[in-house]
This record gives sequence, C-alpha cells and structure tokens, in this order.
Amino acid sequence: MKRKNANYVLSAALIASMLVLPACSNGSGTNNAAAESPAVNAAGNAGAQEQESFDPMGKYEEPVTVTQILSYRAPEEADALAGVTPETNGYLKDLKEQLNIDVKYLWSVPTDQYAQKFSLALASGDLPDVMQVDLATFEQLRSQDMLGDLSEVYNNYASPEMKQIIEKDGGFSLKQLTYDGKLLGLSASPTGGTQIVWIRKDWLDNLKLQPPTTVQELEKVAEAFTKSDPDQDGKADTYGVILNKNLTGWAFDAKGLFYSHGSYPSAWLKGADGSLQFGGISPETKEALATLRSWYEKGILSKEFMLANEDKISEDIVNSKVGISFGEWWYPNWPLNLNKDNDPKAEWIPLALPAYNGKPGKTLNFRSLNSILVVNKNFKHPEAAIKMGNYMLETTKPKYTDKNSPDYKGASKGYIAQWYAPRFFYPGVFDLIMETVSKAVEEGKETLELPEDFPNAGEAQAVFDNAKKYAANPKDNAAWGMWFSRGAKDGGVGFSKKIVDDGLFVLDEYFGPPTATQVERGSSLDKMRDETFMKIIVGSAPISDFDKYVEDWKKLGGNDITDEVNEWYKNNVQK
Amino acid sequence: MNLTTTNTGKEVLTRARKRWRWKREFPLHLMLLPGVIVTLIYSYGPMFGIVMAFQKFRPAQGFFNSDWVGWRNFEYVFNLPDFNQILWNTIFISIMKIIFSLAVPLLLALLLNEVAKDWFKRMVQTSIFLPFFLSWAVLGGVMIELFSLNGPVNALAKVFGVDPIMFMASNNWFVTILIGSDVWKGMGYNMIIFLAAIVSINANLYEAAEVDGAGKWKQMLHITLPGMSTIIILLATLSLGSVLNAGFEQVLILYNPIVYEKGDVIDTFAYRLGLFDQQYSPAAAIGLFKSVISFFLVSMSYYFAYRFNNYRIF
Repeated sequence: MKRKNANYVLSAALIASMLVLPACSNGSGTNNAAAESPAVNAAGNAGAQEQESFDPMGKYEEPVTVTQILSYRAPEEADALAGVTPETNGYLKDLKEQLNIDVKYLWSVPTDQYAQKFSLALASGDLPDVMQVDLATFEQLRSQDMLGDLSEVYNNYASPEMKQIIEKDGGFSLKQLTYDGKLLGLSASPTGGTQIVWIRKDWLDNLKLQPPTTVQELEKVAEAFTKSDPDQDGKADTYGVILNKNLTGWAFDAKGLFYSHGSYPSAWLKGADGSLQFGGISPETKEALATLRSWYEKGILSKEFMLANEDKISEDIVNSKVGISFGEWWYPNWPLNLNKDNDPKAEWIPLALPAYNGKPGKTLNFRSLNSILVVNKNFKHPEAAIKMGNYMLETTKPKYTDKNSPDYKGASKGYIAQWYAPRFFYPGVFDLIMETVSKAVEEGKETLELPEDFPNAGEAQAVFDNAKKYAANPKDNAAWGMWFSRGAKDGGVGFSKKIVDDGLFVLDEYFGPPTATQVERGSSLDKMRDETFMKIIVGSAPISDFDKYVEDWKKLGGNDITDEVNEWYKNNVQK
Repeated sequence: MNLTTTNTGKEVLTRARKRWRWKREFPLHLMLLPGVIVTLIYSYGPMFGIVMAFQKFRPAQGFFNSDWVGWRNFEYVFNLPDFNQILWNTIFISIMKIIFSLAVPLLLALLLNEVAKDWFKRMVQTSIFLPFFLSWAVLGGVMIELFSLNGPVNALAKVFGVDPIMFMASNNWFVTILIGSDVWKGMGYNMIIFLAAIVSINANLYEAAEVDGAGKWKQMLHITLPGMSTIIILLATLSLGSVLNAGFEQVLILYNPIVYEKGDVIDTFAYRLGLFDQQYSPAAAIGLFKSVISFFLVSMSYYFAYRFNNYRIF
C-alpha cells in the first residue's frame, strides 16, 4: 500500500519530470558561474599580457578553467592504458602542463545517451564554455544569442593547421557561420556519407552469379541469396537484403536503395522550376517503396526487420544470415570483420549503387555542417577553445603518433584521441590516408614515411600497421577490417572516393538550420512518414497510401516548410 | 499500510496532556523532517517549472524572461493531427491494464489460498512475484524473441495448425501483448496484498460457515470476497490516478512504426517531442495536462475510497 500512497507524490514528480531537471540545474548553473568568476578574473591579467604575442599554443600565466561536456565510448585501441578515464586522459594532463588550461567536465555520458542528456542540459541553460554542436543546436543557440564571437581569436590564434582545415572548402563554412560580421562557430565542411553496396562475394561465386549493376539484377541476386542456399549448408536460413527499423538510420538501412531509385527521402533537390523540392514526397520515393514492398513479399527482406535497430540487426551479418547491405565505407571494420571471424569463407566486396531505369545510382552529398565548435557568450577566454583545437591538431603529427618516437602520445600512454574535445578532421583526410597508405603498401615500404605536416598521422600509421599485419596473416580479420575499410584502393574509402570522383552524386541543396515549421511539426511528420512507409513495405497498407501521405504532408506543415526552405535558398544561396 | 483512522474527535485535551503529547511525539516529528525536506525540494520545488507550459521557453532567457504565450502550447498540442488517437490509445491501454492487474491477481490469490501444501504455495508465490523485479529493458528483448516468427509462441501455435503470426508488428496483437505482459510482470505485487487480506479474515467465520453447511464455493462467495472487498475497492480507486500512464518504458522498448496506430501513447509522444525535437514548452504542456487530469482522478478516487470504505490517507 505504501507504494500506492507514494504514487501520489511520485506521479506528481514524474509527470512534472520534464520540468524537474531544468528547475534544479538552473539553480546550479548560476552557482557555477559564480564559482568560476574568480578564476576568470585571475586569468584576465594573463590574457592581457598575451595580447601581443598571439602564440597559438602559448601557456597561460594563470590557470584558465574551461568547462566542457563529453560523450564517450570505451577506448577502441587494444593497447589502451588500463583504467584510463576521460578525466585521467593524457590530453587533459598536457593541456594543464603545456597551456595551463584546466578542463572541467560538467558531465560526461556514453555516446548513445548524449542527445537526451544534452537536450535536458540545453533546456536548463546550463551549458559549458566550449562545445561542438550540430547545425540545429547551433541555430538554436545563435538565435538566442548564447554564442561568443570567434572572429578575432580565430584570426589571431588559429594555427596554420587549423586554418588549413577550416578553410579547405574555400571559406564556405566560415561564411555560413558568420552572422552580422561575427564568426560564431568553426567547422570543417563535411565529407563522406557516400552510399555503396556491400555484398557477399563468396555467395555470388557459389551461385555462379555476376555482381549486380542494376536494381533488377540486384533483385535477382537477392532472390537467389534467399532461395538458392548461397552458403550451401542445405538449410534455407539466409535472406537477401538487410534492413532495420530505421529506414534512414545510420547503417543497414534503405537509404542506398532510395538513392538508387533517384529518391532522396530527407533531402531538398532542385526541381524543374528551379525551386527546392522535398525528396520524401517525390514519385521516385513511391517507386522505391514499391520495390521494397515486392522484396518484402518475396522474402528478400527479413520478415521482422522492423523490430530490430541497427545494433541488433547487425547480428544477421555477423551470423552469415544475409548477403547484401546498403551502407558506407566503414563496414569492414565493423561488422564484416566479425562475420569473417565467425565464417572464414566470408568474403565481402563493395559495389556501386545499382542503376534504375537506365540511370546510374547516385549517392547524396551533404553540405550542412555537423560538428561546429562554439563558445559560450559568457566565456571570458574564447581563445582557449582555439588553443585547445590547435593542441589537438598538434598531437596528430607524426612525431607524436609514431610508436617509436620518444614523444609518442598514444593509447598505450593514456592518450585516448576520441575523448579529445574539440576535435577537427582535415576534410578528405580519409581519402588522403587511403592514397598515402595504399601507395606505400604498393611500393612495398617497410615503414610509413610522412611529411611533418601530414594531418592525422596517427590514423595513417594505424592503417599502415594493420595493412602489414594483414599481409603477414590473412586470417587476422581485425587487421583486414582496418585495411580494407581505410587503406585498400578497392576497399571502403577507396571505392567511395571513386564514386565521388566519377561525379555519381547529387547535392542536398538545403544546408541551413531546421526551419520554424520543421521544428514545430517535425515529430508529427516524421511519425507519419515512418508509419506510412513501413506499412507500405510490409503490405499492411496499399501503395496508394503514399499519395494520401503526400497530401497530408503538404497539409500538415509541408507546404509551409517548402516555402521556408525556398525563402532561405533565395536569401542565402542565390543572392 | 496504515488503515486505522485516528479519531481525536470530541476528546478535549488539557494543556498538560497536550504538552506531554508534544514531548512524546517530538522525536517522531524530527524523524519525519528529512523526508519532508526532500519532498519539498524534489517534488514541490520543480513544480515551479510548470510556468514553462505557458511560455515560449528559450533556454537563454530562462523561466523569468521567456515570452508568455498563454494557452498556445496547449492549443498546439491538442491540435496535433494524431493527438486524439494517442490520447485514446493511452486511456484504452491503461484502463485495460488496471482492470486486468486487479482481476488476475485476485483470481490467483483466491486459488493460491486454497492450496493446502505450504511449500507449493510459497514456491508459486515466489515465482509469480519474480518478474516484478525485472526491468523492461531486459524483458523487452525477451518479449521480442518470445513472440518472433521463429519464437516459442509461434512454434506452439504451429502445433495447433495456426499460421505464424507477427505479434509485435500487428496492430491487432500488439496492445494485447502490452497489456498481457504488463499484467504478468506486475501481478505478483497485488497478489501478495490480496493474500494478506485473505489471511486477515477471521477464521471463526469459516468455521461457522462450515457448521452451517457451506462448501468451499459458498465460503469464497460469502466470506472471502466480502472480507476482501475493502482492499479490492481501495486498489481499484487508487489506480484511477494512473489512467494517463500507459507504461512509458514498456511501450518505448516494444513499439515500432507499424504499431504507432495502436501503441503510441502520450508519454512516448512527449518523449519524442521534448527530447528529440527540443520542444520543451509543448512537452511541458502535455505534462501539465496529464497531471491536472491525474489530480482530478486522484481526488475523485480518494473521495470514493473514503465514501465507500472509510479509507483516509490524511
């Protein structure tokens, strides 16, 4: 009975749970600010002395406290120093010793909980001094005037390496993030996301089939993978194409198939009249859904794909249950390597998106910035953020990434790179690493020699080491995964690069922040889309429901969104 | 469980006795204090945040400077195209859960009470209570496996010649599974309460009934059930307050886009709205809407509990 009584109190508390955290942490936010002000004042003098020198990695006379937040995963490196935590990361020790910066994490959570935690922290206004955010969050912070101006500190303090990264796109991102003459964020333009097809080569060979180049051929192969016992174990335990409950998720999804049909369900492409049109309601999307529907009926898709998320469904790849997956370049590093562990015969190759109706499949390239360094408006030392970025880039130089170097700063010494924040990547760094490493391997080099200013040398070194490991032992599937995803010319990165080089992509023309109606109607429209698409695919709704969905989409905010997007396009791109 | 009502009534206390009582009970009040303070801080303090439901809340401006928008957040939420359906789903699922979480444990308690072998009774009792301690995060995965196309449930159905059913992706079955699994998970708790109520019935009544020639069935009908009626009505009325809680965690873990039609409930919707779309104010409006309804229902149920059962909390 106590439980029932407590329910009154509890239900009040739970129901108001949306309100609980904001209210609590709002109070503590004020405290934080108060507690930090002495440090800020003390360091103010140091800043004054610094003004003439503008040393990108100059050490503060007085300690400067920088608050941050962190989403983290366990270290991936097998030789990572045991027991190292984000707080004991060598990077923090270095920042203190080299720059006299004390990093304090307001909170740190595992990566999968980050979005939720950040959303709550944002509601409470309890934000750190320095963080990297996506474009939607950037816009929200910007429109509420919460961001500090970086123009001056960027010009004065950014190291040549950082400038090279930020301005690789010819000033596109700087222009995007400048408002009223104030530079409010720093970001490298994104690359990647190229959709390709991964297919079981050994299954193709078993059935004496050619790698498919059109959607029709892919369907034939997938059908054979489902019905003709491609693993030759005498059991009907395989199916053709993997999907999961998120049709446009982060892996093992239907994005690539939509793209093949010329459908770009969440992108804005230029229509015949020159205005931007939403891909989610295009006739091509309907065709793609019809294809998926027929595949589901034929058993090419798993009957229960809609019950599993990406992590869960990846088990089907690992357990050799499926032979085709749309996706990106990194699959060999996970989960294909695990599949090879399980099934030594497994052999995967990448293919281009299949052609449809005589048109080649084209992938989608994004221009919207997705990892933007911003500083809190109330932060007195915006240059500290730049200096930290400079330092992060410094640590990627060969001198620090070579295991034999006395200055080696790697996982075995307690430096976990993925916990560094802010982090910047040279746009196209994966292409560069792939070309450098594959060339060195072709030439039979014993060691990888890199120029002093090579960006992200540690990554290149790791790929090269794994290439050698794989050459020495072809059964080392972990090494194969690293090499075939990042190093090999015909592997993940190499193959994706070729597709982009061949111009087989279209551009998402909208790269602004979510519009007002997108924010307001987003969850309703997404729900309607997910429900309609899924029901059409599994056959519990007729394909004609798509037309009703298009009408509803337009009525329930879609028309407003289209207007807003085109308004933005007129003001920001066409001007 | 405190069902006795203290009746100070017409008793007039003299000053001396009052002081003596105060002195005697003072330590007890002191012991209560930490609980009261914690409740004030964590349950009453946050209520201030309700203002968010009437604002266009912007983190930078906080509670004090965000613009006031009156009822607009509520209008927005109620006018969402799927709100009516979500509300209906919520009420249907939770009412079904309330009914069955009373009926099933009651039946179990009555049956278990008739079991003569003590060790058997205890074993059944424990095994029924066990799932109560499992979290939905764990159970969700088990449920999906259990009801999958190749799972044991479909294997069993096959024995009877039934074609495999996709339980978790069927709008006909999904709600049944939601309710069934929730009842199964929680039934041990209410069963123990019912068993306790049965035990507290005066054994003389049964003896007298036997002398009068009543069999087991008649005994149950005329002694056990009436003896338990207080507690049954009490549990029923108290659960009224949770009519708008259809079990957030359970639904979130088990649902998928195909069963949104029958399975999407207020809490999951508010979750997507508030935490993924960062629409704090409408989400807070949904929260407030829920608490107002719950407050009304709780008051009602309290009134009825008092009226018919003479039960009081305060």
